[in-house]
Amino acid sequence: MSKLNRLNEKIWQFFSSVDLAVALFIVISIGAAIGTVIPQRSEPDIVIKFFSKFLPMNLSLNLYEIVSLLDLNNVYHSWWFTFLLFMFALNLVICSIDRLPNLLKSIKKPTQPYPESFLRSISTKKEFIYKSKRQEILEKMLNLLKHNKFSTTLFETSQGIQIYCSRWSKSRLAVYLTHFSILIILAGALVGTFFGLRGYINIVEGTSSNLAILDNGRPIYLPFEIACDKFEVEFYENSSVPKAYRSYIRIIEDGKNVKLNNKENFVVEVNEPFTYKNITFYQATYGFQLTEHTLFKFKFLNNEKEYLVNLEFEKKNKLPNTNVYISVIDFSPALGVDEEGRFFTMDSSMINPAALILFEEGNRKFHKWILARVPESWQTPYGQLKLTEVWGAQFTGLQFKKDPGVILIYIGSTLLCVGLFICLFFRPLRFFVFLEGNKVIFYLPTKKESVLSEIDKILNKLEGK
Amino acid sequence: MSYQVIAIAGFIYIIAMPIYVVHLITKSKKVGYLATASFLLGLLIHLIGFVQRYKEMYAINQSLLHSIPITNLYESIVFFVLCLVGGYLFIEWKYKKKALGVFVSTLAGIIISLTDLLGVTKEVQPLVPALKSNWLLAHVTLSFISYAAFAVGFITAALHIVVASESKKSFKYILSTFLLGFMLFTFISVIIDILYSSNPKTVRIFQSTLGNSSAVVSTISWIALLSFILGFWYIGDKIKNLLTTLRIDSDFLEEITYKMIAFGFPIFTIGGLVFGAIWAEQAWGRYWGWDPKETWSLITWFVYAFYLHSKFIRGWRGTKTSIIAVLGFLVTLFTYLGVNLFLSGLHSYGSM
Ligand code: HEM
Repeated sequence: MSKLNRLNEKIWQFFSSVDLAVALFIVISIGAAIGTVIPQRSEPDIVIKFFSKFLPMNLSLNLYEIVSLLDLNNVYHSWWFTFLLFMFALNLVICSIDRLPNLLKSIKKPTQPYPESFLRSISTKKEFIYKSKRQEILEKMLNLLKHNKFSTTLFETSQGIQIYCSRWSKSRLAVYLTHFSILIILAGALVGTFFGLRGYINIVEGTSSNLAILDNGRPIYLPFEIACDKFEVEFYENSSVPKAYRSYIRIIEDGKNVKLNNKENFVVEVNEPFTYKNITFYQATYGFQLTEHTLFKFKFLNNEKEYLVNLEFEKKNKLPNTNVYISVIDFSPALGVDEEGRFFTMDSSMINPAALILFEEGNRKFHKWILARVPESWQTPYGQLKLTEVWGAQFTGLQFKKDPGVILIYIGSTLLCVGLFICLFFRPLRFFVFLEGNKVIFYLPTKKESVLSEIDKILNKLEGK
Repeated sequence: MSYQVIAIAGFIYIIAMPIYVVHLITKSKKVGYLATASFLLGLLIHLIGFVQRYKEMYAINQSLLHSIPITNLYESIVFFVLCLVGGYLFIEWKYKKKALGVFVSTLAGIIISLTDLLGVTKEVQPLVPALKSNWLLAHVTLSFISYAAFAVGFITAALHIVVASESKKSFKYILSTFLLGFMLFTFISVIIDILYSSNPKTVRIFQSTLGNSSAVVSTISWIALLSFILGFWYIGDKIKNLLTTLRIDSDFLEEITYKMIAFGFPIFTIGGLVFGAIWAEQAWGRYWGWDPKETWSLITWFVYAFYLHSKFIRGWRGTKTSIIAVLGFLVTLFTYLGVNLFLSGLHSYGSM
């Protein structure tokens, strides 16, 4: 029985020690650092290739054995990393329980004077000899201490008057807030892992879909459909630096548009996610995809008159006021010209959309590239043909997630910050003042420059008159 | 252009350093005032450059908030040094002690010149969409304020170890003198680099010394570096006497180290970790993704948590805790620059 108790006690001591906390800080840090160097969540050959950059091949292969044994290519989800975090949490809980009684005792004010020998053993002290009456100096000093936000407790002893001064002593309790909030954050992360969803959905302009792919590759159907009416990239003036990515979406549920706050059209932008039914959508990617309903929109200027011409891909249409038929036979989202004057597609995003137009007038046929952002290319023998928009040729890639743990993360983070601010900006401070004969002696258990200078100021004011 | 103004400020920081040294040696009050005055002047010009950069950004972005120039590596470094110098001058004023100025001006001068080493873009650039977020703004601003506090803590911690060490053979003594010696060498090298560069825009750090194309010069530089480090190691205990006469003792250094970390830690927590997480949540849909920059921020946080807790480990008093403060700043530097240079990630600074 007593053996068991001793073992119990040892385990308790082990988990309540700051030494374990510090050891965990170090081990977790090293583990996390390894994860930033070795390629994570990648195929074996990538990891081996990484090692073979600075090691011979057979060593790299051996090293990979170790990597896969310890999950070093998936550190943050490995059994041992999870185990370390668990130990960390346990350490926090047990340490807090272990220390609470002592802490509560230490923030209480003393009920009886400290023994003189205790005061004398404090090496940092400041002395001051006063000339006025004791009662006068006492009152003045108590006022000054109060002014500096110290709370004071007075004891008359046989040798003189002992004053116990303390400030912000309760702020030590904030350590508990800090530590507890870390547990909340860990709990939030756990909730997210077990009850969260995460994936992406691609929607072509002008269509709607509810088929999404989870991050683990599994397809799922969302409980509602998302329609993308338009996707656009806005550029800074005269440059190809993107300014904003924007998807105009609608939510369709049971065949009807969903209204939120009387609105049924919503915008998703980078940094401006959209949430419906606890699922949040983020603008993540976009791309170019020609489909049968892609529409090329032109402005045709003929004899000072402007016409709108819409063309589907490879379908003929007559240019207004002429006998010319035109059709789009090729398309590039970002047409560039190389040094030899050849055209090529620079980018898969619509930086400079261009359409290759086939003109047919009777037997006469020719084709020409029209570039949306290059006015010189708009000239045709029949008038100016300006490509204004290509609609339905892009898809927007929305990332989505549902994470019921986020609220815990936010609560935990807030408490963490509040706790840290209290415990580090309002340091508890205590010292003793002893009035003995015609001497005032300040005894300071901790030697700190900032405290000393504060005491100096109090002393100066005491003397100053 | 703003970067020219800022380069002038960096130059004044470099000039302030020898003045602080003269003050340290002669203890003349007048020289002390001159040192502070030149450092203040540098700060003022730095501020002017910062405001000018803000205006340049505003001309492009047309947004008051999103024009605060801290959106790429160069601007962040400039802002970091601004915090460092401002924070230091506050401490100097509060504690009425000037000796630390030698080291802070050295660090400030090196870091401003470091912008050349990294070959970072100094041109004003428009903001890409992911960076247009108030959370990001708060995240970056507060992060750099905390980095500046950690930098001052690093200097005082390293000095604390030098001043308080009894044995010249101890690891912590060797490490701190190594770092201080390396810092001083880098500082001098930077000055030579600037003097010998034909074009102030293309200064490359160590180009005229360690990395010189002439083998002779580069060998001499390596020897110089070595002798700086050995020299610092050798005269460490003499520095102690010098500093003690200026009322800078090991208790004071330890206290400032603690103050800096106790100030930087909560700021880093809220700005570096929490605001960063909120931003990531809004921009990418996850508050934490184990991206290298995030991971190293967490490691930095752990190291400083280690520092705060080391005081509660029985028997850990004095220099043992200071060594953690020194390591902490090395990890901070890695988080700030090393991750971009050596590890890839999502963060935009990486590509600049
Ligand atoms: C990374 C997570 C942690 C953070 C941010 C943190 C933060 C803090 C802070 C700010 C203090 C006050 C320091 C001071 O007064 O100077 C503190 C004290 C303390 N922490 Fe932690 N802590 C963490 C993890 C832990 C863990 C895992 C343990 C487990 C044993 C622990 C045990 C303690 C103890 C015993 C104290 C002293 C409390 C006292 O004043 O009696 N901490 N912590």
